[in-house]
Amino acid sequence: MIHLIKYSVLTKIRNFNVIFWSLIFPLVLTTLMYLSIGRMEEDGFETIPVALVAEEEAESDPFLTFLESVEQDAGLVMTEEMSRDAAEEELKNGEIKGIFCIGDTPSLFVGGSGLPESILQMILESYIQGEQTLSDIRELHPEKLGDAVRKMNEYDEATEQVSLGGRTTNGNAQFFYALIGMASLYGCFLGFQSSLDMQANLTALAARRCASPVNRMKTILSETAVSFGLHFVNMMILLGYMKYILRLDFSGSYLAMLPVLLVGSITGVTMGMFITSIGRMGEGSKAGIMVGVSMTFSFLAGLMNGEMKNLIDRHAPVVNRLNPAALISDALYCMNVFDAPARYREDMLILSAICVLLAAGTFLVIRRERYGSI
Amino acid sequence: MDIVKIENLVKRYGSTVALDHLDLNVKEGEIFGLLGPNGSGKTTAINCMLALLKFDRGSIQIMGEEMAPDHYKIKSQIGIVMQNVAVFEELNVQDNIDYFCGLYIKDRKQRRDLVEDAVRFVGLEEYRRFYPKKLSGGLLRRLNIACGIAHKPKLIILDEPTVAVDPQSRNRILEGICELNRQGSTIIYTSHYMEEVEQICTKIAIMDHGRSIAVGTKEELKGMIKTGETVTIDAVALGEEDLEKIRKLPHVFDLAYQDQTLTVRCTRTSNNLIQILNCLQEKEIPFGRVFSELPTLNDVFLEITGKQLRD
Repeated sequence: MIHLIKYSVLTKIRNFNVIFWSLIFPLVLTTLMYLSIGRMEEDGFETIPVALVAEEEAESDPFLTFLESVEQDAGLVMTEEMSRDAAEEELKNGEIKGIFCIGDTPSLFVGGSGLPESILQMILESYIQGEQTLSDIRELHPEKLGDAVRKMNEYDEATEQVSLGGRTTNGNAQFFYALIGMASLYGCFLGFQSSLDMQANLTALAARRCASPVNRMKTILSETAVSFGLHFVNMMILLGYMKYILRLDFSGSYLAMLPVLLVGSITGVTMGMFITSIGRMGEGSKAGIMVGVSMTFSFLAGLMNGEMKNLIDRHAPVVNRLNPAALISDALYCMNVFDAPARYREDMLILSAICVLLAAGTFLVIRRERYGSI
Repeated sequence: MDIVKIENLVKRYGSTVALDHLDLNVKEGEIFGLLGPNGSGKTTAINCMLALLKFDRGSIQIMGEEMAPDHYKIKSQIGIVMQNVAVFEELNVQDNIDYFCGLYIKDRKQRRDLVEDAVRFVGLEEYRRFYPKKLSGGLLRRLNIACGIAHKPKLIILDEPTVAVDPQSRNRILEGICELNRQGSTIIYTSHYMEEVEQICTKIAIMDHGRSIAVGTKEELKGMIKTGETVTIDAVALGEEDLEKIRKLPHVFDLAYQDQTLTVRCTRTSNNLIQILNCLQEKEIPFGRVFSELPTLNDVFLEITGKQLRD
């Protein structure tokens, strides 16, 4: 048995196709997703160009002091003083997003609607709400005016978005959970190789192994155990990469994610074994089916579009309850975000049932020792 | 003692009969050749012997016991060399042999010695650390053989082991098979190359359409047919009258003239060649190269089935 396990491990970890799809591809995809989400976040906080139009001498205007502070401390806006005509021309050309008019009552002109315009409006409203306070401070403690403006300008979030379970939600986490679901299913490539190496009607190598005096059950057990084990290690490497290299914060415990990864790995491997063991198609066709099935499941679980999973949950919930990638992603979400143990248990139960069904189907096919044709 | 005994074996693939009431007996110590064209049922017979294929009727006994997939005791005494190279691409030469030997031999020390013997036997000492991808076709075939024989089995089944192999490697493989036989293994060797079978096999079964159409030593097989000698002569412009005269010569029973080559088949007597050449000389017919051949297994196949072995 040790002999079988040793060589099964060696042949699998040296097989480029197996390692590429079950480990390298998910790592590359994670990196690309991380970079693309990072860029999206950066794009969202681009500094907003805005014009300042002073109606009269405004050097000591508190709104001007306030805007300088916003520009320097928060980096949200980039202001430039100019005449009204010049400002209107630039706004028309789209070179600036708005015009702040400084006077007795500060006002804002914008050329459209969107996130930059909303931010400018928010800045103005913040000032107007605190104007009376600033006015009082200017009269009573003019030396504290600068500090007061700075304090007003601290954009600490007054509210925090939390889940029902009390944990912070992160909209991007669902992409990575769906990716973990996809990576789990890509264990099918290990199952694929195992199945090819065991069935005499698929490869000459398997026929040679079947002709040897090794008990069939030993062959099946060693191959299956090695595939499960290796893919679980693959998944831990992926999780480690997310945690230690990309420093993603899933807010829950990484250790608690391991049971999901274990069941997910088993699901992926058994799915591969099952697809490979049925039918008499060629290796290429079976590999194509596996990739197609895995990607479809991952797509439906929200890998490419975060709304997809919610959409299916609303219109065809049974699909998500039978989709292993969605179940893996959902189990991780339940654990780390919702803190919904009942739903987590339900996910794990359905996943385990899928594993058992796939394993039983596979076993019925690969336990054969004699074939109708080779 | 019969090491393999196949009786009345029938294997059908739908409406196609792959093995048609096949009977075979292989005795201990023989190099038993299964000769037949592609599709004659040789590999199917081997797969049935190895309990890999289901069959519809008949029985297979190996070493006196009914063969079954879980008859591990019998399986442990069989070595198999597949028609297609069946080794792991991810393991080097040494590890491949060790892996397959390890399926039969548990003891590590014993296995180490056996692997060493097998590496030497097939002449792959310099290629131990090479991966199959880096080996030439001939070396790969040798590795394929080493993986099948490393555990020194009592019965070795080689299914067309020399397909796509260069002449040098082929000779080495054939010599190796004879050496294995000298060391005590019984060999079953399938091929559609009659020269190979003729060269190494002590007993031959000719197969066609899933049936064993003739069994015996090569001499016995050749004795079964009418052809004793085949004379081939390059001769220009032979007329029908000339051919008729040659056809009427004593002991000539078949004649063909095509592309200025005359092929005359005679029964087992002497002086056939002289008589034919005299006949040509009398008619003053010029002729070029002349060949006289004793019957081959192809002649046996031709006479029994009416077609060439390579058709």
